[in-house]
Amino acid sequence: MLVLLLKGALATLMLAIVGICGGTALGVGLAGLSFARIRPLRLLYRLYVFVTRGTPVLVLALLVFYGLPAMNFALGPYVAGSIVLVIYGSAFFAEVFRGGVLAIPTAQLESGRSLGLPPGAFFRKIIAPIAFRYALPPYVNVCVMMVKASSVLSIISVWELTLAAREIIERTLQVFTVLGTAALLYFLICFGVDRLGRRAERHLMHRGFMGERA
Amino acid sequence: MIDIRDLRKRFPNGSEVLRGIDLVIGDGEIVALIGRSGSGKTTLLRCINFLEEYEQGEIRLDGATLWYRNEAHGRRVRMREREIRVLRQQMGIVFQQYNLFPHMTALENVCLGPLEARARPQAEVHELAHGLLARVGLGDKTGSYPYQLSGGEQQRVAIARALAMRPKVLLLDEITSALDPELVGEVLEVIRGLVAERMMMVIVTHELSFAREVAHRVAYLSQGRIVEIGPPSEVFDRPQDPTLKDFLRRVR
Repeated sequence: MLVLLLKGALATLMLAIVGICGGTALGVGLAGLSFARIRPLRLLYRLYVFVTRGTPVLVLALLVFYGLPAMNFALGPYVAGSIVLVIYGSAFFAEVFRGGVLAIPTAQLESGRSLGLPPGAFFRKIIAPIAFRYALPPYVNVCVMMVKASSVLSIISVWELTLAAREIIERTLQVFTVLGTAALLYFLICFGVDRLGRRAERHLMHRGFMGERA
Repeated sequence: MIDIRDLRKRFPNGSEVLRGIDLVIGDGEIVALIGRSGSGKTTLLRCINFLEEYEQGEIRLDGATLWYRNEAHGRRVRMREREIRVLRQQMGIVFQQYNLFPHMTALENVCLGPLEARARPQAEVHELAHGLLARVGLGDKTGSYPYQLSGGEQQRVAIARALAMRPKVLLLDEITSALDPELVGEVLEVIRGLVAERMMMVIVTHELSFAREVAHRVAYLSQGRIVEIGPPSEVFDRPQDPTLKDFLRRVR
């Protein structure tokens, strides 16, 4: 039983990693859109975030898994599940990054402008590193949320920790032991994510950020 | 040479900050801007390198008009970002609050401009940056992050960062106002060193004794106008304008 749950936990971890990586990449692009000079693009961004963030993961999962095949676009549960997590996460990640950029002090932007840096260097050397530092705590927050959101995918037959637990319960009827163990495993994954986040924060403190508060 | 003609600016709330500034700064000249807070001196300085936009007037650097161009039918348009960027590289600015990049060491702060904006080779830039940091007395702190430096040290890094672009003019915006009194001296010492090099400078300052010492001319601003301008000995010792007299009495 434990082996099966551990395998489920591994699947959950993999799904979360896919969701976090994909969501982060898409989120960065979306956050960029939110600062676009062209107004329709900014509106598009707001619409995307509004819709995606306002839809429960469960509904999103059903929509992708059952909705797309209806349009002759069938996907396996794992692909569908990954897409759901990436889409769902991207809206939250994008807002986190947008917040990070907005938190950059004007003073540092003016310093960069007065040096006459080209846009690419400006983004790479100033905007991205400083925004990332401000965004880190809420970023970890969303990562933890992604781990837990993956449990919903059991409903579209993605085999992960929650589905594994349900299968075992159906055979053994040991509801509390099995669900308790599953909950513990979720906790451990989230705990790991949190620890990674803390480590990154500490690392950045030594690299000159939050120095005065370290 | 910088040539400012009839510069006018309003803040978005409609209040007029600059009401027609005319000022010529010669090569190697140091001009100090003094006046009460709200008189427009910092805004004038920020207009020079276009951190503030302005509605009317013209700023020229060595004869070339900056920031706006007049089209054939008389419409005034902002230059392209690319042009603005290149022009800004000819000016260095040092801010009251140092404004160093917190995630970069002193050396990286100084190297950033020449490396990324000027695309100079790394070895050359490193040598330049080490030299500049040594010159501002921080040769042993090149690897320090801003939070590990005192205010005075941070401000000296900021000066080195501005100099690294080899600017034609250095704009100093109340660079000692945020410093503890005992740190003011070390920063002013660095500026004294530049005076000998005949670097063109515009200095906004509250340190009147320093303005008297280094400036060739002092301009007193009040309500968005240059009310009095001349050599320090005249402006400080024989002020004509009653508000300037009053200002000097209060500051002393």
